[in-house]
Amino acid sequence: MSELVRLSDTTKVYQGGMTGALNGVSLTVEEGEFTAVMGPSGSGKSTLLNLIAGLDRPTSGGVTVGGSDLGRMGEAALARFRRDHIGFVFQFFHLLPNLTVLENVLIPAQLRSRTSAEARGRELLEQLGIAEVANRYPAKLSGGQQQRVAIARALINQPSLLLADEPTGALDTRSGDQVMELLMALHRQGQTILLVTHDAKLATRYAARVISVLDGKIVDDARLETAERAAADVIRVRGEEARP
Amino acid sequence: MSLKYGVMGLLAEEPLHGYEVKNRFEAMLGGTWEVNIGQIYTTLQRLERDGLVRPVGERGDRGKLLYEVSDAGRKALNEWLAQPESGPQELREDIYVKLLLAARLANGNLGPLLSRQKRAYLQRLRDLNQLEARARKDGRTDLANLVRGALLHTEADIKWIDELSEMGISGESA
Repeated sequence: MSELVRLSDTTKVYQGGMTGALNGVSLTVEEGEFTAVMGPSGSGKSTLLNLIAGLDRPTSGGVTVGGSDLGRMGEAALARFRRDHIGFVFQFFHLLPNLTVLENVLIPAQLRSRTSAEARGRELLEQLGIAEVANRYPAKLSGGQQQRVAIARALINQPSLLLADEPTGALDTRSGDQVMELLMALHRQGQTILLVTHDAKLATRYAARVISVLDGKIVDDARLETAERAAADVIRVRGEEARP
Repeated sequence: MSLKYGVMGLLAEEPLHGYEVKNRFEAMLGGTWEVNIGQIYTTLQRLERDGLVRPVGERGDRGKLLYEVSDAGRKALNEWLAQPESGPQELREDIYVKLLLAARLANGNLGPLLSRQKRAYLQRLRDLNQLEARARKDGRTDLANLVRGALLHTEADIKWIDELSEMGISGESA
């Protein structure tokens, strides 16, 4: 596996000392990893995500994604970088209400050949189990369906990195689980995913690596094992027992 | 939970001999509580002495003796089932004592202790997630619910560690 993301002693300072600043963060993410980033609000985890996505530029230090140094790019180059390399899934879907599902999915593909983009869009909708709503408008869909449309839109340009910021935050448990299972299936096909969540249960269920951010710093970077353990090695139920 | 009521509960379904009680008890708990057969026999003898279970018939093949729950046993079992869990909360893990000692010995610098503990809890959460998924796949909803209880406990432990870490770090910079 090769390195996809590298932050080296990266700092982001906001005017007026706003919260969410980053204070000397170093991090690498390998291709194919499913990584979760956790931290309280204001810890800097969203800033970290925005820097990696090329939505924001560091005050100092480097941000390199897929070999491109984002800190040196101009606005136009950053926009191209985002379109070609980053897929974004948000908590509140961010679909355009006056476009159909398929049109929403095709937004990032504007500059590609219409027919090949449309074929890929339909294929993604099929893969995500929402082919039948291709011509409907977002307001007619359930939250879980809307998030799947957002995932299809995020994948249309085959991004090297999928960033998911609290993707289940606005969904009920069942739809949330379905959305996470879809992300997991993409990961199994090799998709690199960075998931921001405050939910430790969700993070450890899907991600084998959990990064904790606090006060603008990475305070822990845990790589977890995936082992089939015997029940008794995970839970021990006990109580009073008769003594012989 | 007490083994005594576990044994009575299983006998309330149907008469069983000692080994069947052991096997069913362990299967019910999905391997999260292993008991040895000696404990089962000791428990059965005490329950018999207290009139809560009684033998059915004579000893059969290889000395096997079936037990059933008595009326008094059924009554005691129902009372136990209806009673909410009360009393002090049990904190059995070493971390609680480690925390107090480390606060005295390390002048309040708990950072390394807390982050190692958090890692251990995250790993446990991952293991529990897998166990829950396995229980659901096996159709053991009851066991999956038990695992969910453990999951939520571990989530609370993580929140606690996070809270302590936040207090520690802001205390340092102040």
